[in-house]
Amino acid sequence: MIRSSSSLPAAADKPAVFISPDPLDIAALLKEAHHPGAGGLVLFSGEVRDNNRGRAVAHLEYEAHEALASQLIEEILKAAIEKWGLQIAVACHRTGKVAIGETAVVVITASAHRSEAYAANKYIIDRIKHEAPIWKCEYYIDGSHEWGNNCNCQAITGDLTKHIYDA
Amino acid sequence: MKIHVYAALKEHFDPEFELKETVHNTDELKACLQEINADAAELLKSCRFAVEEGFIDNAYKLKDNDTVVIIPPSSGG
Repeated sequence: MIRSSSSLPAAADKPAVFISPDPLDIAALLKEAHHPGAGGLVLFSGEVRDNNRGRAVAHLEYEAHEALASQLIEEILKAAIEKWGLQIAVACHRTGKVAIGETAVVVITASAHRSEAYAANKYIIDRIKHEAPIWKCEYYIDGSHEWGNNCNCQAITGDLTKHIYDA
Repeated sequence: MKIHVYAALKEHFDPEFELKETVHNTDELKACLQEINADAAELLKSCRFAVEEGFIDNAYKLKDNDTVVIIPPSSGG
């Protein structure tokens, strides 16, 4: 969790965790994300669904370059705090095997008013999914697996570092 | 030079291996890896590179003792 400079001091004691091999405890994250200066809080939970492109999915496995991914997520959260004046910005992504219905990634944003919290939340999840070195392997019911459904913005923007939401 | 690959690239290369050839930048590294395994050529075109926990571009001068991380496109969606 990252709090803005107007934050509550207690949270500063806890090191932020951006990548987790363990199940994400959304209730616990939400409990810590309230702020007296925030009138709007948005929580996004990216969850594993049981199908993709017509194929029955058994589960997903996520792999990450933990150091690079953590560094990038922290940068993204700080950018969002600055851009929208957030009181709270939280993001954590799972690694390892994630079952159907489980949370793969959570983003929480809190700000004085809801519009900033919504916009910042979308900004954060878009950038994490397209830029952070985190990869998804889909395991299907038929026993096969496939790395894929990855960011292909380069085909549209012509630049590895430019994504569709940059336009 | 040590090379670490992730995700779909592991279908084409060992997760970690030593590259004996000398390459000076990421374009040369990409070309070298494409020669080793032509099946990876398309994927390598969309990969990013990092050393010492930081992303690099083709202007970075690679050294023989670098450990280069090759980053396929992120999960997207």
